[in-house]
Amino acid sequence: MNNLLPLIRNECIKILKKKRFYVILLILAVLVPMFTYAQMRIAERSQDKFNSDWRLEVQQQITDNQNSLSSDRIPEEWKSYRRIFVQQLQYYLDHDVNPNEPSGVTFTREFLDNSVTLFIPLLIMAVASDLVSGERTTGTIKMLLTRPVKRWRVLFSKMTALIMFVSLIVLSTFLVSYLISGLAFGYRGFNVPVFTGFQIGGDTVNMSTVHAVPQWKYILMQCGLIWFVSIVVALLAFMVSVLVRSTAASIVVMMATLIAGTILTNMASAWTTAKYLFMVNLGLTGYLAGTPSPIEGMTLPFSMAVLGTWGLISVIISFTVFTKRDILN
Amino acid sequence: MNDSKWTWRFVCLISIAATLIFIVGFGYAVKDIVYPQGDAPLTALPQKTGAPDEEVTGILKVVAIGDSLAKGTGDNTGSGFVKRAVEGMSEGDQEVNLLGNLGINGLTTLGLQNELNEEGVKYTLRQANTILVSIGGNDLFRGAGIVQSNSNTSSPTSDEPSAPTDELTSKELLAALPEASKRLEEALLKIAEINPEAKIYFLGLYNPFGDIPELRVPGNQAVTVWNNAAMDIINTHSNMTLVPTFDLFHNHLEKYLSTDHFHPNGDGYQRIADRIIQAVH
Repeated sequence: MNNLLPLIRNECIKILKKKRFYVILLILAVLVPMFTYAQMRIAERSQDKFNSDWRLEVQQQITDNQNSLSSDRIPEEWKSYRRIFVQQLQYYLDHDVNPNEPSGVTFTREFLDNSVTLFIPLLIMAVASDLVSGERTTGTIKMLLTRPVKRWRVLFSKMTALIMFVSLIVLSTFLVSYLISGLAFGYRGFNVPVFTGFQIGGDTVNMSTVHAVPQWKYILMQCGLIWFVSIVVALLAFMVSVLVRSTAASIVVMMATLIAGTILTNMASAWTTAKYLFMVNLGLTGYLAGTPSPIEGMTLPFSMAVLGTWGLISVIISFTVFTKRDILN
Repeated sequence: MNDSKWTWRFVCLISIAATLIFIVGFGYAVKDIVYPQGDAPLTALPQKTGAPDEEVTGILKVVAIGDSLAKGTGDNTGSGFVKRAVEGMSEGDQEVNLLGNLGINGLTTLGLQNELNEEGVKYTLRQANTILVSIGGNDLFRGAGIVQSNSNTSSPTSDEPSAPTDELTSKELLAALPEASKRLEEALLKIAEINPEAKIYFLGLYNPFGDIPELRVPGNQAVTVWNNAAMDIINTHSNMTLVPTFDLFHNHLEKYLSTDHFHPNGDGYQRIADRIIQAVH
């Protein structure tokens, strides 16, 4: 332990010195205002149309979705998605709770929901993908390994530093999005109730377990789930960076799998074995919001098991490869 | 060196704190999703926001409810009679707000009754002072199976072999009527009960099959019976008005019906809208 702490510290400082983390913050600081502005325009427009009465707007949303149900041109899966959506909106309306109460907190909640499968993993990759391959590209890996430190300790310290930065990235995503969107929508709204616990079976939603949760707790749970997803993505990217020699290649590999994942979730509901792929399981927050899973039969424990297995395997592979492999150049 | 020592401490502290928070949140989330604690949906009962309107302002607040006609199916511009009527009404100094269009394709009187039990629908109706209702076409024509199988209603059930097909379809059309008009009455009364203040404009039916010889007479009969039944209901309530459309389409079907031969086209909707404007003003 005495031996490890300085190593971890060393790795952390290296990550900071490479300025990758600042790049991430910069990306957030540029993109979040854009999303905020788009959201603001939508809110303004619907205020004009619906007399700033959210109930009318939600009812219209329900009617529009019901109308699209009667169209034969819409695939059956979308219809069941919309049926579920209608039932949830109805529930909100019946309990007089605005599902989209405009506030910085609501914006953050939606932003987190939308960014869990692609955006946050991308940010994670920015740090994770060059941890080992970067040392190879610059040749500093030789310096690192000629020290009288066991190889697994080197790798372990890198991994610990990575996990620390994963937490920091998730935290800063929340903070940046809350602080910036709050400028436009206001900083209050942590106690607004959000419904969770919709149990989806086929077309219908079981409402018996639905309960209201204050928004702060909802976001806390969301962040927890996102954090878990991020750790797994980080471990996988880390493995790729051990296996692949160049940083560019390792980023491309991870990007390709992630993007394949989003495409698959959109169209592979017929290919059921795809549910064992990690990238299909990244949308853990959907279980909280009650959106139907991309493939029938996926549940939170299932997704966690899949992600956990992938993460564990990638750790094992990283360590065995890194401790055994010859370093040639 | 001192500088990096300080950043290291800072990073270390924050990341450990964040990690702990996230683990707690993760635990909460797993617990909440896997074992959702019982049912406690009694948190917030539907707040009965009645509409003690600011009637003084004289703003028309329009809500449309009913079937595909209310929705505007067949109109290439997507406006339907609702938007066209709202546009027409707001041409003068009159301020008109369209609060919502709750028209659903294929809605029958039965479906309308179910709709009227929804909290959100009730709420929307309560906010309005002008309610446009269009219902019945699907009960009459779809219930008799005419829309799906145009005039192919063969007659295996007919007792007399000499019975002409129009009488049969006429019977079939009329068969759906008594129950449908009863449901119509219930639905209209329900709307009036939800919002006793509002003026209700009910759209009469036209016969979309007037140019099919076998269906011309029975269709006209059925539509007339329906419109009369609606008139009977509406006459007893001062807040309700029947807006007839039968004559608008009677001999001009090819001009005012859209390609599906059932819904009006844009011009047809415009004619309906003009009628509604006259009735409202």
